[in-house]
Amino acid sequence: MRRSVSMVLVAAVLAAAGLQPAADAAAKLRVIATIPDLKALTEAVGGDLVEVESLARGNQNPHDLEVRPSLMVKLRRADALVVNGLELDGWADAVLRGANNPAVIPGAAGFIDASRGVPVIDVPTSRVDRSMGDVHPYGNPHYTFDPGLAPIVTQTILEGLARLAPGQRATFERQRQAFVARLESALGRWQAALTPLREARLVVYHNNLGYLFNRFGLTQLGAIEDRPGIPPSPAHLARLVREMKEARTRVVIVLESWSDRKLAARLAEETGARTAIINAKLGTFSGPEAYISSMDANVTALAEAAR
Amino acid sequence: MRGSVIVAVWLTSVLGPGLAGAQDADALRRELDQLRRQQEQYQKAIEALGERLKRLESQPAPAAVAPVPATTVTQTPAGPGPTTAPPSLTELARPRQPFSLYGERRQGQFLLDFGVVGDFVGNITQRNVEQATGGTFAGRENRFFPREIELMFFGQIDPYARAEVRIEAAEEFEDGARELHVGLAEANLTLLTLPGGTQAKLGLIRNRFGLLNERHREALPQTDQPNVLTQFLGEEGLRESGAEVSWVAPLPFYLEALAGVFNGDNDVAFGRGSLKAPLVTGRLRTFFELAEISAIQLGISGASGETPDKRRSTLAGLDLKYKLTPEGWRHALLTVAGEALYSDRRVEVFDDAGASEDRTRRRWGWYAYGEVQPWRRWLGGVRYDWTQYPVDPGREWAVEPYIAFLPSEFLRFRLAYKHTDRSHRFTGPDDRGSARVFDEVLFQATFFLGAHPSHPF
Repeated sequence: MRRSVSMVLVAAVLAAAGLQPAADAAAKLRVIATIPDLKALTEAVGGDLVEVESLARGNQNPHDLEVRPSLMVKLRRADALVVNGLELDGWADAVLRGANNPAVIPGAAGFIDASRGVPVIDVPTSRVDRSMGDVHPYGNPHYTFDPGLAPIVTQTILEGLARLAPGQRATFERQRQAFVARLESALGRWQAALTPLREARLVVYHNNLGYLFNRFGLTQLGAIEDRPGIPPSPAHLARLVREMKEARTRVVIVLESWSDRKLAARLAEETGARTAIINAKLGTFSGPEAYISSMDANVTALAEAAR
Repeated sequence: MRGSVIVAVWLTSVLGPGLAGAQDADALRRELDQLRRQQEQYQKAIEALGERLKRLESQPAPAAVAPVPATTVTQTPAGPGPTTAPPSLTELARPRQPFSLYGERRQGQFLLDFGVVGDFVGNITQRNVEQATGGTFAGRENRFFPREIELMFFGQIDPYARAEVRIEAAEEFEDGARELHVGLAEANLTLLTLPGGTQAKLGLIRNRFGLLNERHREALPQTDQPNVLTQFLGEEGLRESGAEVSWVAPLPFYLEALAGVFNGDNDVAFGRGSLKAPLVTGRLRTFFELAEISAIQLGISGASGETPDKRRSTLAGLDLKYKLTPEGWRHALLTVAGEALYSDRRVEVFDDAGASEDRTRRRWGWYAYGEVQPWRRWLGGVRYDWTQYPVDPGREWAVEPYIAFLPSEFLRFRLAYKHTDRSHRFTGPDDRGSARVFDEVLFQATFFLGAHPSHPF
């Protein structure tokens, strides 16, 4: 009898131990972000109260993601979806259609468009069409590259999370304020590290780093893609090479992990430019420090190219 | 006197410019003072505006009163210069209303998306095939024609449903005459907020039966649809009016189940066209990621209905698709896919004496293709077809290598060669021509104008 009681007790303790994480997980908000930067910013606001996954991996171009059913599985049980908006992650619409989750469709409380309130740059002021390539008619959607805009983005995320868990608003606000304070401190560090790069001229692959360059006072010389989403023409490359050679200062080609590195290497060889790869570690960090760590890695890559 | 004149001339020539210079300097000084005063006025105005902005921003943000606000994007002029001082973090961190409840719609902003797809195909084949109207595009052999010009409207109706309407114009061949037909390709609504992970789609639908039936012709992986689909479902494929319910299982892997009830209007496989003897469809689809760079999708489908002469017709399908997308690539390097269809159909047959009896025809067919896209703009592949005919005796096979050139995401050109081998003589109207073994060159130009919904996997 005594042995049976002991066994029941042990089983109860084991069951309780086994159930605890499940109970914790159940209490957390399940959030899906479309891109790793938004995952990182959501983690900064949500902390331990959220469980965040990104649909795009760090090494994937967020413009045109292959819509796999595995993404729909992630979204199927989510409480919230954080999208970048401004037509960067339009593919999320196809994921939403296949996920059958009414909690996160546009119009539902769990749908958070992080671009709300962001001062968008490069908004076309004249008529646009596809002769200009795959243009973003609502402006440059790559605002997560600018750490100075993270306070606005995290405020929007906070409002979304607080809609789903109003009782946790104070905690979200406290975590956001702590994140912003850390970010402010890091921003000074990044400004100092990138000061030498102000003398250089930067060449990007895709015209998406305007927010980052504006923030740190960097100057863009040109883009390898003359029209977004369309492979560059030989004439454009020849013109770009000429401009890079005539720059009379250090030229740095800034790439992302999914850019055409062979082409960039050819340009670098021909012009003597240096190459910096940013977002190489995107998505490899997690937790409240992920965004700052990711920016740290980007700043380090840029600063090294300036030496 | 003469000396006085000389002195006067000398004084005028020397002192004149000096006096004029002094007058210019005074004028410049006055202008500078005026500019300085203007600058001070501007400075004061900027400071007053800044104070006003701070006062407005320091007001507490109102509580969220609606689940999802309307879009309002604060715009700044394009590309401020590198020296533009951005707002401080403290200012940006201050609580604010991140959006307004109603955003004024900008020029060109609509409540729905719309786009146009133009799909033009052409083919060149032997004269006897044209006479027999036995080519891939029956009745349009040796022609270049608009196969599908499609006008699409899609978007959210309200928070609970979305809609999709497609109107198409196409050249068709009927009773020996070529005509341009305009019709409704699809018009349906999807209820998005049903409980238990379900969605319901109602209206005129391209059925999610098998791998390719759901796709419009411009989105097919090759210029023409696989022979087995043409033989078993007709050139238009399975496009039905009715309702379809889908459910995504709450499992760690993807499993989608769907069931539908339709009129049964497809005149090749069903055709009864009545809800008293409806066409019932079902599909199960699952998906596995083999690694980050490769994934496989498997599906089984079924459809059962009645033919116009009230005889049972059942179709079953099995499909598979594999994609390999190397790390960092924007497109798949390798795609391999295939589909098999099985038909079980009751038919009325007549003997030589004219007596009829019911028999069961069990037929099947399949196709498989492999496609390689080593460069962003170029891809190539090959498809193999083998199929029996669902009612008549005989079978056919075909092989179709192809290449495609994609200048951009919105423009595509394809060129294919297709060799078809039938087990029987295929003759056209008035027993003219024959298309038993034949070759075709197929070409295609497709454009996508405006919005276009993305296709999953």
